[in-house]
Amino acid sequence: MKKLDLKVKDYPELAISWETTLINKTGTWRTFYPKYFPKTPPCNYYCPANENIQKYIALSLKGEFEEAYFTILEKNPFPSITGRVCYHPCEIGCNRGNFDESIAIHAIERFLGDYGINFVESKRKIEKLTFDKKVAIIGSGPAGLSCAYYLLLKGVGVTIFEKESYPGGILFYGIPAYRLPKEIVKREVEKLTKRGAEFIFNKELGKDFSLDDLTKKYDAVFLAIGAQIEQELGVLNEDANGVLMGLDFLKAINLKRKIKYFGKNVLVIGGGNTAIDCARVALRKGAKVKILYRRTKEEMPAIREEVEEALKEGIEILFLTAPSKIIKDKKERVKGLECVKMKLSEEVDESGRRKPIPIKNSNFVIKCDTIIKAIGEKVDLAILPKEIIGKRTVLADEYGKTNIDKIFAGGDCVTGPKTVVEAIAYGRRAAYFILNYLKNFEIPKKESVSLVNYENLNTYYFEKQKRIEEDRLPVNKRKRNFKEIVATLTDQDVKYEAGRCFSCGVCNNCDNCYVFCPDLAVLKKNGEYEILYDYCKGCGVCAHECPRNVISMFFEEEK
Amino acid sequence: MKWQYANNTEEYMNPGHLACPGCGGAYAMRLALKALGKNTIVVIPACCWSIIDGPFPLHCIKVPLYHTAFETAAVVASGIRAALEVKGKRDIEVLAFAGDGGTLDIGIQALSAVCERNDKIIYACYDNEAYMNTGIQRSSATPYGAWTTTTPREDFKKERKKNITEIIAAHRIPYVATASIGFPDDLIVKFKKAKEAKGTAFIHIFAPCPTGWRMAPELMITIAQLAVDCKIFPLYEVFDGVKYVINYQPKNIPVQEYLKLQGRFSHLTEEEIEIIQKEVDFNWELLVKKAKG
Ligand SMILES: Cc1cc2nc3c(=O)[nH]c(=O)nc-3n(C[C@H](O)[C@H](O)[C@H](O)COP(=O)(O)OP(=O)(O)OC[C@H]3O[C@@H](n4cnc5c(N)ncnc54)[C@H](O)[C@@H]3O)c2cc1C
Ligand SMILES: Cc1ncc(C[n+]2csc(CCOP(=O)(O)OP(=O)(O)O)c2C)c(N)n1
Ligand code: SF4
Ligand code: SF4
Ligand code: SF4
Ligand SMILES: [Mg+2]
Repeated sequence: MKKLDLKVKDYPELAISWETTLINKTGTWRTFYPKYFPKTPPCNYYCPANENIQKYIALSLKGEFEEAYFTILEKNPFPSITGRVCYHPCEIGCNRGNFDESIAIHAIERFLGDYGINFVESKRKIEKLTFDKKVAIIGSGPAGLSCAYYLLLKGVGVTIFEKESYPGGILFYGIPAYRLPKEIVKREVEKLTKRGAEFIFNKELGKDFSLDDLTKKYDAVFLAIGAQIEQELGVLNEDANGVLMGLDFLKAINLKRKIKYFGKNVLVIGGGNTAIDCARVALRKGAKVKILYRRTKEEMPAIREEVEEALKEGIEILFLTAPSKIIKDKKERVKGLECVKMKLSEEVDESGRRKPIPIKNSNFVIKCDTIIKAIGEKVDLAILPKEIIGKRTVLADEYGKTNIDKIFAGGDCVTGPKTVVEAIAYGRRAAYFILNYLKNFEIPKKESVSLVNYENLNTYYFEKQKRIEEDRLPVNKRKRNFKEIVATLTDQDVKYEAGRCFSCGVCNNCDNCYVFCPDLAVLKKNGEYEILYDYCKGCGVCAHECPRNVISMFFEEEK
Repeated sequence: MKWQYANNTEEYMNPGHLACPGCGGAYAMRLALKALGKNTIVVIPACCWSIIDGPFPLHCIKVPLYHTAFETAAVVASGIRAALEVKGKRDIEVLAFAGDGGTLDIGIQALSAVCERNDKIIYACYDNEAYMNTGIQRSSATPYGAWTTTTPREDFKKERKKNITEIIAAHRIPYVATASIGFPDDLIVKFKKAKEAKGTAFIHIFAPCPTGWRMAPELMITIAQLAVDCKIFPLYEVFDGVKYVINYQPKNIPVQEYLKLQGRFSHLTEEEIEIIQKEVDFNWELLVKKAKG
């Protein structure tokens, strides 16, 4: 403060201030202090691969598709695949779902994946392989491929043993082309071949080689053989001609093999993706198709949209119906299926769903010539050493470590039948763990999670906007072909949809905190904000008006 | 949503002022000065802002400010305008910035006189719906139903809020507008229009007072938005006293949502809330009619 050395006669007639309130440190009034405290958006949290969805959506909004693509690759090497077939639990977690409709994250992911393989991959640098350590991978499904990818990125060479003659596992020969074109799988796999991955096809563990053979030759082995054995129905005459295994059927179609005993009237048994895929494939092969499911629509484990598409295509689903006996003719050919009506009991089974029980004397017969079993897959444990197997699956921790040194495992063979993205995530975690095992590579730390719930947002600043819908091939154009049904969004559509994202927990420079502070205690400089704690009174307006919960208030004592 | 005014980070007010945390009145000044800029002289009658600007020798805003007697904001501003005229200074705005008590009650005759003469000043009333500076006494701006220290408990205020905007508009001055601190861009545009007006301009600003309204300070902006969206405080302009323009279509939220966040309304029964809702709906219809012309 300026010194007061005015004489009485010098005083002006009016009292005039000569100092600003800047000397008045109102920060001392505060009980709570605001802090920029970015948080985890639920989309990222609910993505099994932990993709930074918010970030790639923000980049997409700015048209920075290449950066956005690389953001996905940090957690998932195959966005063109997951963008097409993932269950997208991220969208269930998406906060926007509580406001109007969740962000079409899968569609943005798919666009970026396709953008990547079309425009980015060709100019990407290829990491040099060192070959001082070598890893063998058994199985080229998403778990194996993902593990291979992250090992290759760190310069570790991989050899992938695959019992079929194509890479991709279920991606290639399970999921039909109208959902996931073969071309896409091939182009995603190129990311590995370009980096020097060695594929050895038509070699089957347990038949052509053993785990021991590999541990002798390699520094580490990653087991990713999936869960591919179709479960038995346990009814009479299951050996009749015309009773097919779900995955075998799909494999045969996808690999263009001939199928014996495929007729015109097909019954598919089951409620998962395999069942729906089998039914829709059989339909495309000219059959009349019905699905039998012993519970109700709500309990179906198949992807919801796929069930709806199947119904649209004219497939009938008989709910609360279970097979009781297969009827065959004299030539051992399937002639019909005796079924029984079910009801849901109060008892809850292992899966947490209500257990279906048969209704007495409700048996009836459906005529058919083909029955496809698709009630679930299990792991082929017979080919594996006792030390690493449990009752139903391979035993491994979340990083893939098993009870035998050098042997790691992940994907469906450890988790039981799950999803593509979970297999990818497992593969990535295992790759990091193997890198740590071989090269002391530091495993990325788990990020601490402080989730942004819908209630934490200030939605006043958002307006209702329709969710983007992807174009779909009309049902009448799907007959007898395997053309892809869903189309990739255009960049305009992607930007529109990206614009709907709330950016939960992550600042996007909306300026609200700067704009609304009544104490001028938020400075805005070069797109950044700084709280002037000397003056902030802790009113909490900035935190409350932040639409996306980036700012939190903390008790002053705890500072 | 992006704020227009955030692009310019020039401020005409310093931190360290003496307003309570979450003061709508303090914030209203920040916005007004942002619109009017450096060449502004501010006149403040007795009100919270007499305190907010700081005790002698401190001063918060970065433009000259005259403290004047409670009832004289309008006329002192006119006097300053006359002096500027004499000195030939034309590029300076004179802003009288007064509370609701100083505007709707004690200052109304001076304000009316200024409007009648159509003197070239901007008169802004930051309305916090009571005499806050002296301890939350009711004013004619206090709405029906509100608790104040002079309308305690069951003696909550039974009279309706005086409609100052209509009273001033009736003087047929060139520009009258309502504004809310919850809509900063709108508020700033209105001050800019006021600057251009050929004569007196009056802006009635809705400015919540967390202390007097018995509410959480962080709700300052939310409450100011709700008042508009519940149609309690519609945003509109009146040109030359006759041409009405509604600037924002309210989201039509029940008044209950606004009332329930404030302790000053916590005693209200459902019936009383219904009375408020009816009054609000009636006023809105009236306004819509006027805007249709
Ligand atoms: C028909 C069907 C549709 C599905 N649809 C979806 C979907 O839309 N979305 C979704 O998220 N999930 C879906 N799933 C589940 C998903 O495909 C699996 O969870 C995922 O593929 C598991 O990946 P994985 O790498 O662990 O195993 P797999 O993909 O099963 O790959 C295992 C690989 O190991 C090979 N292999 C097996 N045994 C041996 C051996 N002894 N020696 C050498 N190689 C061997 C196999 O040939 C295969 O290539 C579907 C599953 C099926 C069956
Ligand atoms: C003639 C006169 N009467 C009473 C006072 C005491 N006084 C100072 S500020 C004030 C209340 C002002 O209320 P309002 O205009 O609504 O402004 P607020 O304090 O709410 O911001 C009163 C009554 C005074 N200064 N002069
Ligand atoms: S609104 Fe955006 S950031 Fe928030 S959960 Fe949804 S996708 Fe994620
Ligand atoms: S709005 Fe300003 S004064 Fe209030 S807590 Fe935030 S920084 Fe502090
Ligand atoms: S209010 Fe806006 S600018 Fe401030 S922290 Fe939140 S998102 Fe960022
Ligand atoms: Mg007041």
